[in-house]
Amino acid sequence: MVPTSSYVALSGILFALGMIGVLTRRTAIMVFLSVELMLNAANLALVAFARSWGDPTGQTAVFIVMTLAAAEVAIGLAIIVAIFRKRETTNVDDLAALKG
Amino acid sequence: MILAFILLGALTIIGGIITIAAKNAVHAALGLVGTLLCVAGLFATLNASFLAATQVIVYAGAVMVLFLFVIMLLNANQPVTSRDPVPFVRELAGIGGTVLAGAFVVLAFTYKDPRPLADSAAALEGGSALKMGETLLTRFLLPFEAVSILLLVAIVGAVALVQRPAAQPDGVPDELEAPVGTAQEQRSFGPRAAGQPALQTGREGEVSA
Repeated sequence: MVPTSSYVALSGILFALGMIGVLTRRTAIMVFLSVELMLNAANLALVAFARSWGDPTGQTAVFIVMTLAAAEVAIGLAIIVAIFRKRETTNVDDLAALKG
Repeated sequence: MILAFILLGALTIIGGIITIAAKNAVHAALGLVGTLLCVAGLFATLNASFLAATQVIVYAGAVMVLFLFVIMLLNANQPVTSRDPVPFVRELAGIGGTVLAGAFVVLAFTYKDPRPLADSAAALEGGSALKMGETLLTRFLLPFEAVSILLLVAIVGAVALVQRPAAQPDGVPDELEAPVGTAQEQRSFGPRAAGQPALQTGREGEVSA
């Protein structure tokens, strides 16, 4: 059996990749995709720990995180569409003014 | 088992790199689909069969379809080509990410399983829906209900957000909003776009109102 440490290490690498994406990408949609990557890294670690302790609580937490991510995507993409209609751009640098 | 982990792990990381590095947003989204499918496979190797199925259906299916739909709807698949606001942001993020990944890997290998893995894995019963549902409706009942309310709020919020507003006098110029919209908006914006005096549009608005 693959030890839990390997899974958690993979999850850490995936999380770092997502962080690089959030910091470097300029389009709001790409930032969202990177956030999804980070959420999946957290999910992977949770499932690995659930197996390590033999407790389904971790898996249940992943289920709830998945639901939250779906809600976040629905709202976030709706916001992006609304902003795009108004500004014709989803570049996060142009949207940094927070004025309407 | 070890072979499956190495293969799926490598594919996961490759998919992640495609996601953050692809110039075209559609390619990035497809890279993320690959990553999500590989993570589902990893869930299956971790005795979480129900979560693996949910990951494929909800994440790789529904959520990514929504992403691709919005990318194509906004025609946002071309890269943004303006100047970086922060100097060396790519280099700094690369160094920071590498350091973070290294720290995570080092920390991960200090973890010791509290009891033999075979015993704990057997206790999970393969991560069946029965086992998870039991936890979800006993210990996790309040989060479960809260999440259902959250989903309802998200649906209503998404509908409210993408509704076309009647008018928003907030000072931000809306050059490209004029030609589309309801019949009422088209009537009031159309003549002004054609160069006719604003007085006429005002009268028209009064008549139709």
